[in-house]
Amino acid sequence: MPDFSLTPEQVDLRDMARKFARTEMLPKAAECDRDGHFPEEVYRKAWELGLMNLNIPTEYGGSGLGLMDQCLIVEELAKACGGMTTTIMANCLALEPLLLGGSPEQKERVLTPFCASYNLASFCLTEPASGSDAGAVKTRARREGDEYVIDGEKCFITNAPQANLYTVFAMVDPALKHRGVSAFLVPRTTPGVSVGKEEDKMGQRASSTSSVRFESVRVPVSSRIGKEGDGFSLAMRTLDQTRTPIGAMSTGIAQAALDYASEYALKRQTFGKPIAEHQAIQIKLANMAQDVHASRLLVWQSAWTVDQGKTGTLESSMAKCFASDAAMRVTDEAIQIFGGYGYMRDYPVEKLLRDAKLAQIYEGTNEIQRIVIARELLRNRA
Amino acid sequence: MEIVVCVKPVPDAETRLRVRPDGTGLDEEGVKFVLAGYDESAVEQALLLKEAKVATGVRVVTAGPSPRSEEVLRYAIALGCDHATWIEVPADPRPDAVATARILAEGLKRYPHDLVLVGKHASDREAGLVGPALGEFLGLTDYAGVVDLRWDAGRSLFTFLESVEGGALRVEAPAPLLVSLQQAWNDPRTAKLPNILKSRKAPIERIPWTEVGPAVQERLARSAQRTAFRLPPPRTGAKLLEFKTPDEAAEKLVRLLKEEAKVFP
Repeated sequence: MPDFSLTPEQVDLRDMARKFARTEMLPKAAECDRDGHFPEEVYRKAWELGLMNLNIPTEYGGSGLGLMDQCLIVEELAKACGGMTTTIMANCLALEPLLLGGSPEQKERVLTPFCASYNLASFCLTEPASGSDAGAVKTRARREGDEYVIDGEKCFITNAPQANLYTVFAMVDPALKHRGVSAFLVPRTTPGVSVGKEEDKMGQRASSTSSVRFESVRVPVSSRIGKEGDGFSLAMRTLDQTRTPIGAMSTGIAQAALDYASEYALKRQTFGKPIAEHQAIQIKLANMAQDVHASRLLVWQSAWTVDQGKTGTLESSMAKCFASDAAMRVTDEAIQIFGGYGYMRDYPVEKLLRDAKLAQIYEGTNEIQRIVIARELLRNRA
Repeated sequence: MEIVVCVKPVPDAETRLRVRPDGTGLDEEGVKFVLAGYDESAVEQALLLKEAKVATGVRVVTAGPSPRSEEVLRYAIALGCDHATWIEVPADPRPDAVATARILAEGLKRYPHDLVLVGKHASDREAGLVGPALGEFLGLTDYAGVVDLRWDAGRSLFTFLESVEGGALRVEAPAPLLVSLQQAWNDPRTAKLPNILKSRKAPIERIPWTEVGPAVQERLARSAQRTAFRLPPPRTGAKLLEFKTPDEAAEKLVRLLKEEAKVFP
């Protein structure tokens, strides 16, 4: 039989993340959301405590956690603020290609100084005209002697305004289509790198997002991750690793919505009794609780699968897709339970819905997830 | 210089506390135990002295039942303490404050202790007795309500402030001594994630109850025991103000505070 109990270490990690979320993130969440403020002091503290770079092995200065441990942490952080969680977790996404495809020498050279102080990295895959169609990247990388010259533009890049390292996917040989893509590590200080204006987002406003332009950016061949043409595969294998935490983030947002709604339903009185005693509200709460619980179980099972050394493509797609769709349903119902108050920005639940929405879109839209799920499903039948 | 910090596990303030159905005590199922707030300050103070190279080692000691005792010792190690000692005391009967001090004194006699630090009181009972009683049993001068403890290397003296009503006394004292620390003036640190993971594997020295002397065992047996435990009745008498403008609300509130609550004349 499967064992769903957490180890003592996992309980410690979860409790630590919960305390950080409550004491450092939650008090600033509403203000950062309203002003679109990037709370660097929160992120610095997260780095100091080892809550950033969770997936980087300890030998390079990271926290060296498996996916299950990461998901426990992410869920707790997301209960306080989805936007801050995205920024805290973005290094894991940006550096995963290097972990998967980099040489030991390259990892040592890049990761050790990166983890030794507060640094942000960005995963630069999406372009103005290619999001889901990741094999169609227009950003070009041309080999010139011992260098590559990169030209192009990436958009919707998390942490780009503050990051000092970019993992860039660029087309070396368009004739090879997605097999012509390579991945490069580009320091922000490289001449020709420029960051666009910060996007004004619907939700997750405590994280920063912008475009990044590359104009005749020269990087040495040693900054390429893996072999030429490995880029697309690295991107897909990276997303296999990072989709599950998106499910964990969605679960955290949904759990927060359920917690706020339950608390409110017990206090708010209509027709002479708390609304929690009305069956209409009980049914909503029961449905929300099932969504949250099912999301968490899918996330845990997916994380467990990946921690067993399997790719977990099917499991992680289901966890990400289900949990983010569930988070939209649950946050929507939380607003409904709060009634008019729920629609007001002085109350915490409308932010949860706006934050949850992004999880249906980024790191592979839920439409793409369904294509992946169907493909995996049918492949096993064919 | 060797520092020993004595700590007590208390229920996390975030925990929703329930009384056992038979009224014999708190239902501890699912309750997370953490370092008492002032004890966090005591640990922080010890670590600051270690970082300032005044102390060579910091030992953290607690006396109590499992598993809460090991939990807080592990957390203290994750914060940076070098050694941990658990004096294994049975859960029943519960030691009172002076019995606890006797038990701790028995443990501390095994280790060098130039400076003994405790929180001035634990956030559950708030008795504030363990520190002074422990000082007495160890034959150390004790100071209570201390903040800003420093070591003056030139004169080989500790200097600190002792809280008194409306101010503080500047005190100087040589080692060895026992200090009960005042509130979280030193902004206790949070344990880092890798250290939390490592602390699970850290050794904890265990002193079994059988190794504690018969006089101490006898003192524990004489500890005051509580017979019934219940939550206070829910508060009543909340008054909601009806108002149209903030000015009107303030005016009504001031009148109530003056005339009914008599908070000020």
